[in-house]
Amino acid sequence: MVRLPNTYRITNMPSSPKKKNAPEQKNTLSEKEKIKQKEFQEEAVEHINALYNYALHLTMNPDDAHDLVQETYLKAYKFFDSFEKGTNCKAWLFKILKNNYINKFRKNAREPGKVDYDLIKDFYHSIKDSQSDSEDLNAGYFRSLMHDEVYQALSSLPEEFKEVIQLCDIEGFTYEEIANMVESPIGTVRSRLYRGRKLLRSRLNDFAQKHGYNTDNE
Amino acid sequence: MNCTQAQALMSAAVDGELTLKEQKGFEQHIRSCPSCLSEFEEAQKTKNIIREKIIRFKAPQSLVKSILKLSDSPL
Repeated sequence: MVRLPNTYRITNMPSSPKKKNAPEQKNTLSEKEKIKQKEFQEEAVEHINALYNYALHLTMNPDDAHDLVQETYLKAYKFFDSFEKGTNCKAWLFKILKNNYINKFRKNAREPGKVDYDLIKDFYHSIKDSQSDSEDLNAGYFRSLMHDEVYQALSSLPEEFKEVIQLCDIEGFTYEEIANMVESPIGTVRSRLYRGRKLLRSRLNDFAQKHGYNTDNE
Repeated sequence: MNCTQAQALMSAAVDGELTLKEQKGFEQHIRSCPSCLSEFEEAQKTKNIIREKIIRFKAPQSLVKSILKLSDSPL
């Protein structure tokens, strides 16, 4: 896993000429900017947890996810006028985040399909204590699967399958929204979901068999 | 509808993305095809496992604050 330097923090970005007198900024917002600010906070900020989770899935690194989300919001705020009111703001933000990820991270990150399982395991163990876990460990293998096992199975899928499963099953986007985000026809989204879920099920079965469970009746 | 056609609609059936006409044809097929019915149920279970087991994290407070601060400033 290549850890990237934190070069994308907003605090490290060069200031625009308007920002020279930072303490006066709050008083210099025009009426138009105040409306924009209010709309942005109402429409965009509520999706921050979803964006952070998506960024974590993409980067597998909390620091990089933090930077990616920050830069996404910076761009979103700058271009908020181009957001079409009444459409899905979350989908719009995800598309910006995905483009940022491709431009800034992916070319330097891990090789496609290569996953650092130790990192995932450590990451999940580090937060496990703070999560509520009400599973009945005697209630069949799939119900007793641990979070990191499912995450590991999902992460091991080829990128094109993993992506549509994340967007559909975790984030709840429609096929039309996903097609727009991955820039492919809806038919391709359908097909990737079908093949991706089949492959995922087979990976989960591998886990089950490895642990000596019979999954025929799951 | 045959099995190949049903498989092409499988994910959309799981996600409630079929048209009424497709839904009718798909349901008719899986009633008479145990293999496609089983595949459909497996796909549904897989979706549920992902939804239930993938942990959702909260964005760190430092990140939330920086975003709120960002929209406090003119660009």
